[in-house]
Amino acid sequence: MSGIAQHLDSWARYMMPAVTTMFLALLNVVPLGLPGISDVTPLVTMMAVFYWSVYRPDLLPAVVVFALGLIQDILLGSPIGLMALTFLAIHGVTLTQRQAFLGKPFFVTWVGFAVISAGGFMLMWIMTCVLAADLLLTPAVLFQFILTTVSFPLAAWVFVRVHRYLVR
Amino acid sequence: MARRTATFSKLTQPVRSLWQRFAFSALVLAAFALMLLGKADIIIIERARVAVADAVVPILEVLSEPASSLTRVLDKISEFRYLHSKFERLKQENQQLRQWRHVATGLQAENRALRRLTHFVPPNSPKVITGRAISNAGGPFVRSILVNVGSRQGVRRGLAAVSGTGFVGMVVEVGERHSRVLLMTDLNSQIPVVVQTTRDPGVLSGDNSDRPRLLFLPQNAHISTGDPVVTSGEGGVLPAGLQVGVITAISDAGVRVKPLVDWDRLEFVRFLDYRVDGMVQIRRTARTAATSLGPLKPDRLQPVRGQTAKPVANASDVNASGTP
Repeated sequence: MSGIAQHLDSWARYMMPAVTTMFLALLNVVPLGLPGISDVTPLVTMMAVFYWSVYRPDLLPAVVVFALGLIQDILLGSPIGLMALTFLAIHGVTLTQRQAFLGKPFFVTWVGFAVISAGGFMLMWIMTCVLAADLLLTPAVLFQFILTTVSFPLAAWVFVRVHRYLVR
Repeated sequence: MARRTATFSKLTQPVRSLWQRFAFSALVLAAFALMLLGKADIIIIERARVAVADAVVPILEVLSEPASSLTRVLDKISEFRYLHSKFERLKQENQQLRQWRHVATGLQAENRALRRLTHFVPPNSPKVITGRAISNAGGPFVRSILVNVGSRQGVRRGLAAVSGTGFVGMVVEVGERHSRVLLMTDLNSQIPVVVQTTRDPGVLSGDNSDRPRLLFLPQNAHISTGDPVVTSGEGGVLPAGLQVGVITAISDAGVRVKPLVDWDRLEFVRFLDYRVDGMVQIRRTARTAATSLGPLKPDRLQPVRGQTAKPVANASDVNASGTP
């Protein structure tokens, strides 16, 4: 009996990154009603994908990243596959660079996130323009990138807690 | 049993290692394929999308509840801060409005008399369905919101969505208990409008900024900033006369309209069902018409007209449930 409980427990721990990121995908679209925020909410799911790709890529395989992207697409109403592609790109690039972040001070990880997420936003921008066959010229893209990068430490603080106490 | 699983895992081993090797590229390809298929309005993708959204909507409804009450508290606080100046402003405004009311009652009487004279047939009074916005506008890449009413409450594709202050957008996706409203500011939104004072027709085309562009105005349009813009009803999808916004900028770069809607406080949305049936209700083509909504865009003029003409001509239920 205790074997089953243990099994369930470890299973729940393994699921934790995927489940919390899924929850963040939902939280990302909740209307906050704060002035200006409806335009640009920080993309917390992107931060989560980056964080888990650096520290526990075994718990966030590419299939899960893809599924999270699809759910985010459906919730946001963006062209289906757009976020999936972006998250996969972030996941893939981060995997090749993760050795550079492991065991380094947080600042290095933060800069790494800024660079990689900049690429992610660029990819989203290009794909949106291509799919709409129109040039998207709005400063909101830049604002969202800046807001996402600036709020990364706050999100990382939460991820570290989830990592430490719920995943281990 | 143990031997069987062993042989089974041995059998699947090559497949598994192959998958591990190419999973990433396969998924990237899948994402690209989905984007292309989504662009081509494949019905299965559409259905899957609606089904997933329908399943998630109850969670979103619960999550958005505390957020909206927080908004209300914040609103109250900011209201208290400006209470006095607001009171003064409202007192002035009320005085002006009283004069306007006097003028309006006179015009109403005149209008009624003239309508009687010309045997004017007024449009149907709309059926109103009200829902709560349970998602935010979606960020810089897409401007749309989820609303917690769907086909169960009678929402259809192509219905106009308005807030207390004005036109919001159009329904592009309907599930059983949710619907998605494409905001007029979205890159894919094109709303046939008319400048209310000069009657110059145009198309309000979103570009994901909060000031949509007013395109295809006539060459000799005499518009000026501050002119109100309303829906024209052209194309038969949206009703005419819904308040959209005011012209804020006229320059070589184009004409910009400021929507009347307060995007930050978009809590409740009303769907107006005028039973106008310009929208194609055949599932396969509906999304094309909904997202392009461009009966006035020259390159899209022919196909959309062609599509709308067909179902209205053959569908008997349109006449049965529609206009009296």
